[in-house]
Amino acid sequence: MQHFEFYTARHIEDALTFLSEKGERCKVIAGGTDLIPALRKEDIHPDFVLNVLELRSLNGITELNHSIRIGSTVTFTEMVESDILSHFFPSLVQAAASVGSPQIRNRGTIGGNIANASPAADVLPAILALDGELELESKKLGTRRLPLSEAIVAPYRAQFRQDEILTGIFIKKLESGTRSAFTKLGRRNAMARARMNLSVILRLNNEEVVEELKIVPGAVMPVAKRMERAEKMLIGKKPETSVVEATATAIVEEIVERTGVRWSTEYKVPVMKSLSKRILGELLT
Amino acid sequence: MKKRGIGLGSIFFSIGYGFSRPDFCAATVEISPNGSVIGRSGEVDYGQGSDTIFCQIVAEVLGVRPDTIKLITADTLVTPDAGPTSASRLTYVMGNAVLKASQTLKKTLQSVAEGILGEKDLLFVDEEVYSETHPEKHISFKVLAKECHNRELPMVETGWHEITTEDVDPETGQGNAYATYAYATQLAEVEVDTETGKVEVLRIVAATDVGKAINPSNVEAQIEGGIVMGLGYALTEEIKLDRGYIQTKSLGDYMIPTSMDIPYIETHIIEIPVSTGPYGAKGVGEPALIPTAPAILNAIANALDVRVTDLPANLENLHRLIREKGD
Repeated sequence: MQHFEFYTARHIEDALTFLSEKGERCKVIAGGTDLIPALRKEDIHPDFVLNVLELRSLNGITELNHSIRIGSTVTFTEMVESDILSHFFPSLVQAAASVGSPQIRNRGTIGGNIANASPAADVLPAILALDGELELESKKLGTRRLPLSEAIVAPYRAQFRQDEILTGIFIKKLESGTRSAFTKLGRRNAMARARMNLSVILRLNNEEVVEELKIVPGAVMPVAKRMERAEKMLIGKKPETSVVEATATAIVEEIVERTGVRWSTEYKVPVMKSLSKRILGELLT
Repeated sequence: MKKRGIGLGSIFFSIGYGFSRPDFCAATVEISPNGSVIGRSGEVDYGQGSDTIFCQIVAEVLGVRPDTIKLITADTLVTPDAGPTSASRLTYVMGNAVLKASQTLKKTLQSVAEGILGEKDLLFVDEEVYSETHPEKHISFKVLAKECHNRELPMVETGWHEITTEDVDPETGQGNAYATYAYATQLAEVEVDTETGKVEVLRIVAATDVGKAINPSNVEAQIEGGIVMGLGYALTEEIKLDRGYIQTKSLGDYMIPTSMDIPYIETHIIEIPVSTGPYGAKGVGEPALIPTAPAILNAIANALDVRVTDLPANLENLHRLIREKGD
């Protein structure tokens, strides 16, 4: 059994002060579906645990002029049930719906999923494909924005300052006609870590030429990342079968470049290629 | 591409230990002066429902309500030896021991009631004992129990039942190794994603011969639970070893099916009474689960024309077989 002081902050200033004073001896809890198991396994030994669930500015999903703000303590269930997200970012809703089980979706939060930065996190590829930006607050720097792609560069290591709290996620509204999709492959239909997942954003222009494309595979590399080389193979072109095939090949080539050949490669390469073709095919019809 | 297939799995399976290994159960049934009934046995109800069966058999014989019977089980200080709770044997072996103890008690009760009522055609129903031809002649079970105690008659009886069989011929291996056998067939319908190796079981239809379903909803649940175990065994459950060290260290890695993985299940209880079982009943625990994996693997073979010979048929294993077949 671990001993630590559990502190529930009532105001954001209160939370920021607490965190700046305690520094690395403090862990932030925003649902606990990752933190509590880590505490029980004694992987971490914090002296303080800061609860941010009561902070009003971290709650809720808000539509702004050009973007949507998702509070960092919004649960996966709230994301699944959100009309705003279903309308603007269906792929993000699909990703949230694929997390764990109803109990985990009721407890777990988008902010916690990002801050924990697991290579198999389900919402990370979806947010990366949507070019999401993080809103971070600290006593010292105030509020700053950081693209998610820059915030996570190594597994389980979000690039936040010790005194920073992730308060929200901003995602720009997509141009009209943009399609998005998310798919996950697990060993069972619930309570399954992603064997692999994949999120894609795609827009065709009036001439049926691919104008915008973002492809993010997850759970196959130490850090989920956009496959820009593969994207370029299809952008500016008509999505003919041979081009889609070449794009899918480029995706798995880049994955192998990043991870090297491992025991799982002989499975992951053909399957990720199939999933890529399948998801691109769905978005193109 | 998604391909569908159907497959059949059929088994016959032994109940109890067989091969001359000791196989017996003891149980006691006691009636208190106030008519309350207490059962004792070393059996363990770990969810399969053996306590329910115990109470139902006592209730059937003595004409009392099964939910009023107090059971004391699995306590070596006070319960008689019932052997291990395994081998799908409790209903078949313990059930007989309980039946015998209850019937011995009933004989005592019957003789006293005959003396009081002056009739021999007595029925034990709804906590009453009455004459079938003269139903106005009756005595409550509670009063009768007190009368028996007043006469200092034994109101605790032990039932003991043994099914130890002969061993098979050591030279030829021939012989009848077990006391009885259960039969079961299951039909599985699956859909396989040929590009990922993911198997979705769409439907299982199970027909299980249980001799006699002493509690049909209990039997149905046993069959459904067995199918879920068989499904995990076929598709996902695996203990990985590395030079003898177990690498599968938690239920986070050992993938049992969740409620989202369980298909539509149709159960058919087949009742062909076995003369040696209590009311014709035999075991259902293991027979419920054994046909599931072969049925699923046959359905996969039917869908893909590939034969899985190493379990589990998980994503990687099945995908490898599909690749090796290569079409």
